[in-house]
Amino acid sequence: MNNPLETLIIGTIILFVLCVLFWPGKGILANWKKLQKQSLKILIEDALKHLYDFEDKNISSTLHSLSGYLSISGDEAAKIAQKLKDISLIDIHNEKLLLTPDGRTYALKIIRVHRLWESYLADETGVKEKDWHLRAEEKEHYIDQEEANILAARMGNPAYDPHGDPIPTASGDLPVKKGKHLTEAAVGKVYKIVHIEDEPIAIYSQIVAMGLYPGMQLKIVEVTKEKIKFVAEGEECVLSPLIATNLTVAQIIIPEKIKKDFKTLSSLKIGEEGEVVGISRACRKQQRRRLLDFGIVPGTKIISELQGFSKDPIAYKIRGTLIALRKQQTDYIYIKK
Amino acid sequence: MENINNTYRESIISEATTLRWEVGENFHDSLMESIYKNASEIAAHSVTKKNKQQNHTFDQKLDKIITSRMFGFPAMFIVLAVVFWVTIIGSNAPSAMLASVLIDKIHPWLKEIAAAISTPLWISGLLIDGAYLGMAWVVSVMLPPMAIFFPLFTLLEDFGYLPRVSFNMDSLFRKAGAHGKQALTMSMGFGCNVAGVIATRVIDSPRERLIAIITNNFALCNGRWPTQILIATIFIGGAVPGYLAGIASAGAVVGVALLGVVLSLVVSWGLSRTVLKGEASTFSLELPPYRPPRILRTLYTSLIDRTAIVLWRAVIFAVPAGLVIWLVSNITIEGISLAEYFINWSNPFGLLFGLNGVILLAYIIAIPANEIVIPTILMLTVLTLGMNSVGAGDGVMFELESVNATADIFKAGGWTLLTGINLMLFSLIHNPCSTTIYTIYKETRSLKWTTVSALLPVVMGFIITFFVAQIWRLI
Repeated sequence: MNNPLETLIIGTIILFVLCVLFWPGKGILANWKKLQKQSLKILIEDALKHLYDFEDKNISSTLHSLSGYLSISGDEAAKIAQKLKDISLIDIHNEKLLLTPDGRTYALKIIRVHRLWESYLADETGVKEKDWHLRAEEKEHYIDQEEANILAARMGNPAYDPHGDPIPTASGDLPVKKGKHLTEAAVGKVYKIVHIEDEPIAIYSQIVAMGLYPGMQLKIVEVTKEKIKFVAEGEECVLSPLIATNLTVAQIIIPEKIKKDFKTLSSLKIGEEGEVVGISRACRKQQRRRLLDFGIVPGTKIISELQGFSKDPIAYKIRGTLIALRKQQTDYIYIKK
Repeated sequence: MENINNTYRESIISEATTLRWEVGENFHDSLMESIYKNASEIAAHSVTKKNKQQNHTFDQKLDKIITSRMFGFPAMFIVLAVVFWVTIIGSNAPSAMLASVLIDKIHPWLKEIAAAISTPLWISGLLIDGAYLGMAWVVSVMLPPMAIFFPLFTLLEDFGYLPRVSFNMDSLFRKAGAHGKQALTMSMGFGCNVAGVIATRVIDSPRERLIAIITNNFALCNGRWPTQILIATIFIGGAVPGYLAGIASAGAVVGVALLGVVLSLVVSWGLSRTVLKGEASTFSLELPPYRPPRILRTLYTSLIDRTAIVLWRAVIFAVPAGLVIWLVSNITIEGISLAEYFINWSNPFGLLFGLNGVILLAYIIAIPANEIVIPTILMLTVLTLGMNSVGAGDGVMFELESVNATADIFKAGGWTLLTGINLMLFSLIHNPCSTTIYTIYKETRSLKWTTVSALLPVVMGFIITFFVAQIWRLI
């Protein structure tokens, strides 16, 4: 028999090496697979998306912005641009890169797939909000139009993605743009968040962490150069203008019943009764459907009935049935007493 | 005319396109909500309910006790302990009876008939010593405990107690990224992992269900308890002074079972944060009103739906295993059997993990059922040592009445306390039996998750036994 200490050390090293190689998502094998996916096709498609994005914002894109967006050198960016020009997807005028109609159609197809995939991740899987964009960014290059149409049909042809962006139709139609940046909102008016820009990621995840979501109603309290203050779902929020420009809002003429003195179901004490006012928009497809299945719709009376030896979950009496819900769910349910 | 129609149609389509964007993303949800609302309004108008106030307060009181800090956990442990105790005690006699009929009576009788009609030796060996004995073993060890455990469990479920256990355990399982109902599927796994995996159907959230399926194998099943008890009695009990032997070996078995529970939580935690991160997750747990269990119906459904199906699947897999076991011990090349070749070749690997070649071979050919691991190990040990005085011949599985005689065989095979401990660990942490693997495939319909469920535990088992063996030798 070998020296046990030696065997132990060798075993530990082998185990470590295997972990480094094969760890799901982070190992060398996983990274290598990711690298393999970087190809010319992807660069071209990403370039088109960049051009479309800038066109949409009325900024002209240049070789410089392109190389920055794709994180490649200027020379490589020039090669990509030339390639795009050769297959007449773009025109180049005075150093400005412009999409041809064909290029725009191609870009919209990619965007359609991207937004559809984000909707799919949000509605049908448990992938975290901050990962939707990154995953869709990878996936968009591998789904063809036919698959995209099947995917769309399966989800009931959604019109908007979870960030509030419209999903181009199969024929490339988009609605007329509306709404404005939160920084341009007027004090005292009520707005609805119609879009949350998902790039840069750092700012997006900050917004997500604050619990803001598309469809949320805001009442603007104060707008200055330093901060924007508003009330959302009964809580006062303050944003810096830098973050606020990532939010697009549209004014609502007749606000939905402003949920004034509403509370969440989780705030109900044992033995108390509440009446459901609504379910938060942040609670999406499957989770939402489950709550609806239990008959949790506006007007339903709920009694908080039973607490086990931990505070979570709590059993509620809903329509004569005892149902245990976790706090994460009851935070989404709005009630009045 | 045609033209006007066309313009009209065009305008409708463009109107629809604009509206599509206007109705917004919440359109489907609002529609659903209003349907539910309508339905509930209609029901409120037209359905009258009988007053069930009295029952209701009784339920409330019982719930308060069952889920309280004082009584909740102790009650749960007592109930489960009683179920296991009844299962173990109750199945001893029928198991022995089945074994004496199937193995001690019918087996020799079949051999006699075969000899009387002068069947070639290899055919009677293959079919009777191999296939028949494999099946007989599985039936006699597996049937009685399952026929007791499943009805008891179903009664508790029917009464309404089990959902409360899920409710109590949910906070613990939530922290591991799992569902409270996994407490139930795990308990079911103590009876049989196949039943445990099928029971995960009660978990309707896809991610939590997969977690429950993959980790179910860490619940020490019925087929592995006898192995644990036997090895603990021989090695753990033998390592401590006589008056402590009983407590020490019982403690070791319970310790291994608890280690399984801890591992299943740890693995759940790991899975929910890595490979299963992207699966959809929702939570729901209904606490139905208590009601008197329907005993006859329960007996019928649990015997037919659970016991019979599980047993049938086990038998289907045990028959070919019996054939393979007989073949590897009886096909010889230059006088040495295939089994011995493999054992000699794999022995160094086995020793690296504190096991040996016999154990490795036994776990490979006894994949179909954990019940036949010990008989196979005994047969193979005797085969390699050439002990002709014990056992029933090459390729014929056997067990001995006396624990001491079994211990002597193990010791002759070069087993130490470390071999015993690592066999107990490996018996807990290795791939599920083939019946369970097949069931996992049937339930998940996914090769990927079936592979993960099969390989994850066996890789973990090798890692753990390796480190235990090396550290043991170091100290």
